[in-house]
Amino acid sequence: MSDGMPKIKVRDLKVSYVHAATGQRHLALDNMTLDIREGEFLVVVGPSGCGKSTLLSTIAGFISPQSGVLEMNERPIAGPGSDRGVVFQDYALLPWKTVVDNVALGLKFKGVSKTERTKTAKEFLALAGLAEAAEKYPHELSGGMRQRAAVARTLANAPEVILMDEPFAAVDAQTRMTLQEELVRIWGQSKSTVFFVTHSVEEAIFLGDRVVVLQEGPGPVKAELSVDIDRSLRVWPDLNQNGRFQQLREEITALVRKTTVAA
Amino acid sequence: MNAARTRQGQKAIKGAIGIGLFFLAWQIGSSLSGVGSYFFPQPGDVFRAFVELWHKGILEAYLLDSLGRYFAGVGLGLLVGLIAALCLGLNKFIARMFTPLVSFFYAIVESAWLPIFVIWFGYGITTILTLLVYVVAFPILYNTLAGIRAFPPTYINAAKSLGGSRLQIITNVILPGLLPNIITGFRVGAGFAFRGLIIAEAIAATSGIGFLIFDGAANQQTDRTIVGMIVMGVLWLVIELFYLKPFEKATIHRWGLVVSAEGRET
Repeated sequence: MSDGMPKIKVRDLKVSYVHAATGQRHLALDNMTLDIREGEFLVVVGPSGCGKSTLLSTIAGFISPQSGVLEMNERPIAGPGSDRGVVFQDYALLPWKTVVDNVALGLKFKGVSKTERTKTAKEFLALAGLAEAAEKYPHELSGGMRQRAAVARTLANAPEVILMDEPFAAVDAQTRMTLQEELVRIWGQSKSTVFFVTHSVEEAIFLGDRVVVLQEGPGPVKAELSVDIDRSLRVWPDLNQNGRFQQLREEITALVRKTTVAA
Repeated sequence: MNAARTRQGQKAIKGAIGIGLFFLAWQIGSSLSGVGSYFFPQPGDVFRAFVELWHKGILEAYLLDSLGRYFAGVGLGLLVGLIAALCLGLNKFIARMFTPLVSFFYAIVESAWLPIFVIWFGYGITTILTLLVYVVAFPILYNTLAGIRAFPPTYINAAKSLGGSRLQIITNVILPGLLPNIITGFRVGAGFAFRGLIIAEAIAATSGIGFLIFDGAANQQTDRTIVGMIVMGVLWLVIELFYLKPFEKATIHRWGLVVSAEGRET
């Protein structure tokens, strides 16, 4: 464990919810204990159904835990808030707002003037390589561009923690690699804390300072690994040839697979 | 843009050809039928009746009366429908509770209500407006509630995570997100209201296009009845072309929320 208080502290968290279709109560998380450290890029990886998205939604405040401790900056998380920005898998850009207005939305909610928030939004769009698309509507953009806009919208609101729920799952492999590289570049400038959920082992190693493996079904964390590969070496496709990357990939893949078989 | 304009022009020409064919068929039909102009007036008879009504100022006065009633009724109905939808829809439980009831009233057509409205409110503007508000509000309420029930939760979650307050989320997220449903309901309601107006004026008014249609027939001035019918059709075309379509184009089409019949708008 690192020194100092964790940014987000999860202790013995239990989360269940009523399944909308079947009406049955479903236990999604149990005995979940995890620290998210200030400034780190933490990636959670696990098979589908392991509760990784539920964990993210709970930290975001969309779901209330049944029991356990869930704190940010030593204060309980009571609901959604702008201190935790969320990037969704399906982008969640508002179709009736232009790209720049989407990116400026959080600042609008804060009462920032129109000129000022548009200026800030355009800066973040430029950072995300979307300066040209500012006046377009989301449906006019490709999947990759929409996700860039969604990331820009979250960053423009300057959250302390960024929660990313399989954000690149819906884009093609090539775009995905570009988005991963851009995300690391942009994150390097903001140095906020990132909690990133994915089912891709390669993505987890490429992005993470640390990788947490969850097991299938509710239960404690299966394993935590530090990614000790220098960030300067994390470039696609070279990383594929890196010995340490291959080692970690093998190790994590085995962990993910074992949990699947065991369940 | 030029190509789009040409396409628009071609559409207008095709539409005009359709209307021309209709008048031609009407002329041929009434000439060949050999019955009197009381029974089946020719386009020329109707045109003369139109000029006469216009000249006497009757048509203008009736038109203004009808339009005033229509827009007042539709505007009020829109307001009532929206407010009711927001009140019922803010809570999913209440929305579920009222949906069957709303469907029930939605199905009771305006002409079925007219007798009872006349008993309650007498002949006149109150009955007409009540009828129009009723027929506009229910489809809007019905469609808006359906939209609320199916509203994507991620939009609301995203807005909450961006720090939006309840009121900010309603104005920035929920209302614009419901616009396709509101427009669908409004289209249905505005169409119903148009029919409702004619029936209401036939029974509860002594002026207006509906009155003209029924009064003409009762006084064996069939040409006047047909003038009223044509005015009714033209009015709807005008409302659709100059109000509904441009509004939809600037909103839900622009936002990619609907795919138009000719493919996606770009």
